[in-house]
Amino acid sequence: MEPVFLFSQFFNGLVLGCIYVLLSLGLTVVFGTLGVVNFAHGALYMLGAYAAYTIANHLQLNFLACLILCPLIVAAIGMVLEKLLISKLYKLPHYYNLLLTFGIMFIIQDAIKIIFGPEGEPFNIPDLLQGAVNLGFMYYPKYRLFILVVTALLSGGLWLFIEKTRLGAIIRAGTDNAEMADALGTNISWTFTLIFGLGAGLSGLAGVLAAPIQNVQPAMGMDILVQTFVVVIIGGMGSIGGSILAGLVIGQILTFSIVFWPPGSTTLIYAFMALVLVTRPRGFFGRVSFFE
Amino acid sequence: MQLKARHKIAGIIVGAVVLLAAPYLVPYQALATQMLIFAIFAIGFDIIFGYTGLLSFGHAAFFGLGAYGTGLSLIHLTSSVPLALGMGILLAVVVAIPMGFLSTQRHGIYFAMVTLAFAQLIYFIAFQWRSLTGGDDGLQGVPRPSLGPVDLSSDLVYYYFVMAVFILALVLGVRIIRSPFGRALQALRENTDRAMSVGYDPRKYKLISFVISAGFAALAGGLYAMLQNFVPLFSLGLDISGEIVLMTLVGGMGTIYGPVIGAMSIVYVKDFLSSQTDIWPLIMGVLYVVSVMTFRRGVVKELKERFFK
Repeated sequence: MEPVFLFSQFFNGLVLGCIYVLLSLGLTVVFGTLGVVNFAHGALYMLGAYAAYTIANHLQLNFLACLILCPLIVAAIGMVLEKLLISKLYKLPHYYNLLLTFGIMFIIQDAIKIIFGPEGEPFNIPDLLQGAVNLGFMYYPKYRLFILVVTALLSGGLWLFIEKTRLGAIIRAGTDNAEMADALGTNISWTFTLIFGLGAGLSGLAGVLAAPIQNVQPAMGMDILVQTFVVVIIGGMGSIGGSILAGLVIGQILTFSIVFWPPGSTTLIYAFMALVLVTRPRGFFGRVSFFE
Repeated sequence: MQLKARHKIAGIIVGAVVLLAAPYLVPYQALATQMLIFAIFAIGFDIIFGYTGLLSFGHAAFFGLGAYGTGLSLIHLTSSVPLALGMGILLAVVVAIPMGFLSTQRHGIYFAMVTLAFAQLIYFIAFQWRSLTGGDDGLQGVPRPSLGPVDLSSDLVYYYFVMAVFILALVLGVRIIRSPFGRALQALRENTDRAMSVGYDPRKYKLISFVISAGFAALAGGLYAMLQNFVPLFSLGLDISGEIVLMTLVGGMGTIYGPVIGAMSIVYVKDFLSSQTDIWPLIMGVLYVVSVMTFRRGVVKELKERFFK
């Protein structure tokens, strides 16, 4: 096999990994701070992609507008859901919110199916980002490089945000020590709403970025949700570094299994998860007895 | 006390009448059978979720494995109904042991996510292994042979057969939770540290409970395969895993009878919705939201508080 081919597959794995990184970052921040496993996370990702489709095809705005508007729209939807429903169940066992978001997932998915139809919608790569770039040793599609750059910038930005701001300090308190977030009490309910909005916005952004490389269709969120769960289990729930590392690893496993052993493309990541559970139950960077 | 005993007898009589008359009360006989099949599933699920306090989000795996195991046995191996159902249960138990062993490494919310991920693994294996399972076309042509002299091919006769299995499963389920083993499970659920300090090994008990509930799920799956003469791929899917949780929760977890009622009502409601409208998944979603927000303690507990206090 040509080294250039393997390199381009490696880059494809990185790009796919970036989508998982964005999704699992949102999931892990929400879980770490609010203790909610958001089953609607995949549906919010799908909403991001459909928002981009609507803005680009019906409002005729450019891709940059999609990149800015869609995460905000999805974040706003997430915040409404948190305020109206999810926040009412914080004091109850975790599984109530799990079931609630599971139901929300069905509602969003079916609503989109009713509005846009069950079959997928095409979404073209924006003109500016079409074509390939010469990296010296190979040509690589511009748009995919763009995803890499955006994810890297965003992960860096998120890290700065969590390290340097007050809201970030609350997220750190939550992900470092579950009781700490509890001790902060319910009078910071708007902070919780904002954090849920942040998680939703991140998945919305992942949806916009994925739209041109994947088919925009109602089931796209459901398909990716469980894989994102695998990423956070492997990375360690509540760990930002863990999400990034595990997201990239899962991207590589998926991409290379498609190249070398296609039937494994849907199953190998679960086998890898089993391996991690046997050797290191808490995941790469997870802490013992965190939210257990 | 006397009042309680009277309620119990009244309950049994009402239950028996409803069970015997069920095929005539619902739109078609096979629906009544399906309601009881999910009730068997819910009895098993209540043992792991209600009594052990572990939320499995992957129990469709065992329902589906039971269905495929029974279906494949009937197609390729045997025409004995009990043996085929036993093969389905065996297949599910063989998978449940390592899956339970790995899942019980984690508690709480992780348990839900890990079981869900393993269930997806099994779903995709069935999806890929077309030559054996039929892939996404499902397993076609599962026969429904007669049970000794009893011909099960009529839907009505099959209903009464499933009813008999359901009663056995219910008695078994109640015996399990009232046994010392069942008491130990509840002790572990209420206070793991205390139960450990008197010598119970939580992981062992959780694993056994997981395997038992997988067995019930597989029994239900096997009956389902014979009912439909077919095993759909979605029998292993996320929707079923979610539905069984909803059924148990709506009925009232940790009451055995509650999940039975929850399962029967939800199967009925779902069938009704899907016959009336195309947007039933949306309405099911609303049902999830409404039941979690309003009667999350379950109908049996709510009714008990209101009328039997």
